[in-house]
Amino acid sequence: MFFGELLASSLRMAVPILLTALGAVFTERAGVVNIGLEGMMIVGSFWGALGAYYYGPYFGLLLAMAAGMFMALIHAINTVTFRVDQVVSGVAINILAYGSTRFLSLAIFNMATTSPHVSGLPKINIPVLSGIEFLKPLVTDVSPVIILALVLVPISSFVINRTVFGLRLRSVGENPLAADTLGINVFKMKYAGVLLSGILSGLSGAYLALEHTGMYVEGMTQGEGFIALAAMIFGNWEPKGALWASLLFGFSEALSFRVVEGGVVPYQFIKMIPYVLTLLVLTGVVKKSTGPAASGVPYERGLK
Amino acid sequence: MKKRYYIVLLRVLAPVLAIVLSALMSSIVILAIGKSPLQVFYTMFKFSLSRLDSVAIMLYNATPLIFSGLAVSIGFRMGLFNIGVEGQYLIGAFLAALAGFSIKGLPAVIHLPLVILCGALGGMMWSFIPIFLKVKRGVHEVISTIMLNYISYSLIHYLIADVFIDKSQKLIQGLGSILSRTPKLSPSAMMPKLHGFLGLFGLQLPRHVYLNWFFPLGILTAALVYYLLMYTPFGFELRAVGQNREAARTVGIEPERVYVIGFLLSGALAGLVGLSDLLSYFGYMDMDFPRNYGFDGIAVALIAQNHPLGIIFSAILFGFLKRGAEGIQTLMGVPREMVSILQALMIMSIVVIAKLMNDYIKRLEKKEEMMVCSSENSSPPA
Repeated sequence: MFFGELLASSLRMAVPILLTALGAVFTERAGVVNIGLEGMMIVGSFWGALGAYYYGPYFGLLLAMAAGMFMALIHAINTVTFRVDQVVSGVAINILAYGSTRFLSLAIFNMATTSPHVSGLPKINIPVLSGIEFLKPLVTDVSPVIILALVLVPISSFVINRTVFGLRLRSVGENPLAADTLGINVFKMKYAGVLLSGILSGLSGAYLALEHTGMYVEGMTQGEGFIALAAMIFGNWEPKGALWASLLFGFSEALSFRVVEGGVVPYQFIKMIPYVLTLLVLTGVVKKSTGPAASGVPYERGLK
Repeated sequence: MKKRYYIVLLRVLAPVLAIVLSALMSSIVILAIGKSPLQVFYTMFKFSLSRLDSVAIMLYNATPLIFSGLAVSIGFRMGLFNIGVEGQYLIGAFLAALAGFSIKGLPAVIHLPLVILCGALGGMMWSFIPIFLKVKRGVHEVISTIMLNYISYSLIHYLIADVFIDKSQKLIQGLGSILSRTPKLSPSAMMPKLHGFLGLFGLQLPRHVYLNWFFPLGILTAALVYYLLMYTPFGFELRAVGQNREAARTVGIEPERVYVIGFLLSGALAGLVGLSDLLSYFGYMDMDFPRNYGFDGIAVALIAQNHPLGIIFSAILFGFLKRGAEGIQTLMGVPREMVSILQALMIMSIVVIAKLMNDYIKRLEKKEEMMVCSSENSSPPA
């Protein structure tokens, strides 16, 4: 029973990282580094709560995805059209997200750091499996977004590896010049990759606000956008790899809550676990895995 | 020759254009909450610049940003992105505070420099981890420094609330527990304010202004960094690595060595960021110690195009914005986060404009070259 609950809690913790990591896979495979994922999650959590507060959870999710996409659009304009440094643009996105949500939260809710309580989507019980005692915590009262996130893993994998769109996306990230000479619209593909990452991060932020906490709280993303980037690298730029890496991070967070209850280790050290784990994972894994060849390099036509 | 001046003019014009552009874009946000942008900007100027104490507060606000802008710019100059200034200055400030409250009985001439040194050392220590991971294991410094920022928040919280909490505090009436803060620093560790010095020129600053000697020290540091970058062999190596790492390697510069020294230097400067607040305003460290100076430093460095002397001016600009933000919040009810939005828009505008201008300058130079070539070819043989 304890183990089942631990797994269920790991899964709940893993979902926001997973959704954002899937987004990171799309944008990186198109050759655009997106440090702004954290900011896109922040706007997702705020606009998700805002939408849900006024028009219900479904509208909240849609609004969150639109908000994430809007931030991604800014990032794409900066990095693809104007070809500026992708990391700098991402940092600006994060600052913009932080400032604009605080600003709007004050202007709309009259509170800088939280929104009123909002209700999430109706929970699902998975029919047959919920009869089994061991699996009970995993399959009862499941948020539909969790299921959506899990379904998105094979879908993303299929899209990236088996479709024409995916082939073009990857070719743009590996060798944009070659892709351009073959008649692929490099800029359009890069925009597609970045916008998809914005939509997914927005959804991930909305999950945090609507499904996980029931309200928007400032700083609720806690750097998960950056952790998702590490999960994407750990997962070797593949959706399935990102799933396992996210589960590892989710598991460490879920485990740390149990340790806090034990009270042996000061809780500030428990809070460090995901970040230390990220560092360790990157230290151990980076030299072995290689990302898309042209990732981070702006593509300029007529260069050379 | 005339083109040279034109190019310099373009370089200076870029930040000005970026500031105007971002002010225009943020006007949309102001309009969206039903206020007049003109009135907001007018209030900002009037509130910040019309009184002497307000100007002094503006410079006090600028002081930490000079240091953090310099720290970030050294990273940029060698092609690395130090987002970790945030964590580095918290660790630096803590180490300085530790040296300030635990050592007693030293004269100020020894104690204060020692405390400042500890601040630099703390920042340096915290910057060693990411650069070590980068050089030895290939971990990208952006993600590692961000992770270290989060780790430093928790670490500082632990050190302040659990280990070094001031147990000698008197309980405040109506409050059940003591505040989470370190003991007070001894007076010999505190930085004197500028009041006495400015008094010599007939400028009387009121007591609620905390402008102190860190401001002139920041200007001096900027000048030193300028000298280091432009006139020393190491500065040359650092810039060479930033321009083209592999080309630098072929002329015998070891990029890894430059990365380590440069990043430690950046960390040492970052360690000084929090000291102006710590050693003049607070006098102890608690959970409310100012945050975000590290991120502000990124904007400061970019607006100054990583020029050490330009950083002084862009730090003052952001000091002005921070002061103005307080003005528009109290006088007009516009949330002060307005300035965060403005700051993000400024970063984007400056990088886009700088990029466009560099492309334009490159084209100009190419055209000039071609003209020189063609005039040489067409000149009749003597």
